[in-house]
Amino acid sequence: MTQAADDQRAREIVDRVARLSTSKSSIATVEMQITNENWQRNISVQIWALGEDKVRVRIGSPREDAGTGVLKVGSDIWYYLPKADRTIKMPPAMTMTSWMGSHFTLDDLVKASHLARDYFTALSFEGERNGVEVAEITLTPRPEAVVVWGKILLEVRRADYMPTRQRYYDEDGKLVRELTFSEYKTLSGKLIPTRLVMRPLDKAGEQTTILYKNILFDVAISEEMFSLNNLKR
Amino acid sequence: MSGQLLRLAWRNLWRNPRRTLIAMAAIGFGYVMLLFVACLMAGLRQQMIESGTGLVLSDIEVHAPAYYPNRSIHQTLGERKGTNVSVLLAAIAADPRVYAATPRVYGYGLVSAPHQSAGAEILGVVPNPEQKVTALHTRIIKGNYLSERMPKGIVMGDKLATTIGVEVGSEIVLLTQAADGSMGNDLYTVMGIFHTGLDEMDQGLVLMCLSSLQELLRLPPVRIHEIGIKLHDITEATTAARALEVHLKKSLPVRVRAWPELAPELADYVQFNRSITFILFSIFFLLAIIGIVNTMLMAVIERTRELGMLMAVGMRPVQVVRLILAEAAGLAGASLVLGGAIGVPILWYLQVHGLDLGSSIDEFSLAGVVVGRHWYGRQDFFAYGQAALGLAVTALTSALYPALRAARFRPAEALRKV
Repeated sequence: MTQAADDQRAREIVDRVARLSTSKSSIATVEMQITNENWQRNISVQIWALGEDKVRVRIGSPREDAGTGVLKVGSDIWYYLPKADRTIKMPPAMTMTSWMGSHFTLDDLVKASHLARDYFTALSFEGERNGVEVAEITLTPRPEAVVVWGKILLEVRRADYMPTRQRYYDEDGKLVRELTFSEYKTLSGKLIPTRLVMRPLDKAGEQTTILYKNILFDVAISEEMFSLNNLKR
Repeated sequence: MSGQLLRLAWRNLWRNPRRTLIAMAAIGFGYVMLLFVACLMAGLRQQMIESGTGLVLSDIEVHAPAYYPNRSIHQTLGERKGTNVSVLLAAIAADPRVYAATPRVYGYGLVSAPHQSAGAEILGVVPNPEQKVTALHTRIIKGNYLSERMPKGIVMGDKLATTIGVEVGSEIVLLTQAADGSMGNDLYTVMGIFHTGLDEMDQGLVLMCLSSLQELLRLPPVRIHEIGIKLHDITEATTAARALEVHLKKSLPVRVRAWPELAPELADYVQFNRSITFILFSIFFLLAIIGIVNTMLMAVIERTRELGMLMAVGMRPVQVVRLILAEAAGLAGASLVLGGAIGVPILWYLQVHGLDLGSSIDEFSLAGVVVGRHWYGRQDFFAYGQAALGLAVTALTSALYPALRAARFRPAEALRKV
């Protein structure tokens, strides 16, 4: 196989993984279980997505944060804070820091997947690992891309292109965090991993688990959902 | 040395008043210069330390042992259980060196106005005792300082206010991650705006009442991050901090730090100032020495004939050396008294009125320290004593060489000299 063909196949795998989380529209109910050295808490959120660049998040529980809304349109992000009863615009840098104290950033949650746009792809491994036939793609950032990682290794099952593990390296090539996928289920006619666990490697014992409770794909959502006025509701 | 010799020496000094007065002027003027330099440099050091510690830092700070370096909001005094703050404050106030002590809570969050947001450090203070410990309230340029009666009032730096576009009376939202992981947020009103000249504070600091910040961060009242302490005399900071740590540790794990440890760059700068003082001192000293050596040398050489005469009538060489040294000592003493008499009003003026740096300089900041328009002096008696001793020793040693030379004169030869 030539290098070019290799790259094309890697590209195809990345695209297929990306398609898992993108659709014309979706409504997902998700639970986030966060454990860090100071506290442990579960947050339930509902996420509406329309097209590539409109996302809205609403926190259902716990009580302290219930009603908090996040709206992302393009690169602009607003928060609705029920206690202050105000909507505030977030500085763009806030999307790259921990969201709600979890080990996911807001980008991780709502940027969907721009991996193919921001990274060069290359197939770096194909074969059996832990009894499963997998393929591993090495993603290295394109020079013009604004990304924080030095390298990402994406591992998928060869049989159905379901992602199994994604490892993030910093610019010095050090493994920083590891995301593992499991509990593949068919929700709304689409097979997806419903359990995502993010572990930071520099903090033993800390992790955030995301559980997809329910997801609806390609449902009708009006543009109105993504207006600032509606964010309060 | 006999009284007779001293009387003779004193009379000798005034047999040629002009020569003596010139010598006195050399030493006295040198002394005044040294007093001037020492006073101004001590004043600069003081101003640096005061403005460096006086705005937020305070002289001494008490923290949980693990608070530094990460300054996590979870690292409160007494860890998760917290501590009885008033008991702790009373224990600190029991030390007679302590002037005032005040509790503080720190957070970090997003300060948000309708059109702009910016990150800032949030400092929670108890307004009354805080004003005894730090002087930030004196830097309010618009509106008022915090008040317990206005729990939702905040005070922020002028640059931050400009960045997010708010004025006194504007509403802002603070968003932070609270201690329980939730999104702490609430609505506040800008009560006042301060200007310190330090970007770090003017651009990135929001102040509010301690209890309001505890509520925002979901910390119970027993959990605070810091106690700031002001002493009666800041020069005792390091020793007082050590004593307080030993004392407080009996009931609570704490780490007590004095300002040199809290602001090492400020301590470095004070050290740098001491080095500069030393160099300036040396230069003025050298100038003074040249004047003194020259005058003393001339005074002895001029009197070769006279000294030869004294030896011819039976004065022993040792007595000649003693006589000249006694003259030098008398001269130095009189000069220092003269220099001191001229110096005292100058030193007083520097301390009270300061040196006006001119209206072109409003203020400037150096190593995180704001220096005002007036450069005030401060009395540094140790340096004054050093200078006096140094000048006296110089006068004596520079008289020693010509004295020894004179002692070797043969009376007959000396008498023949002009």
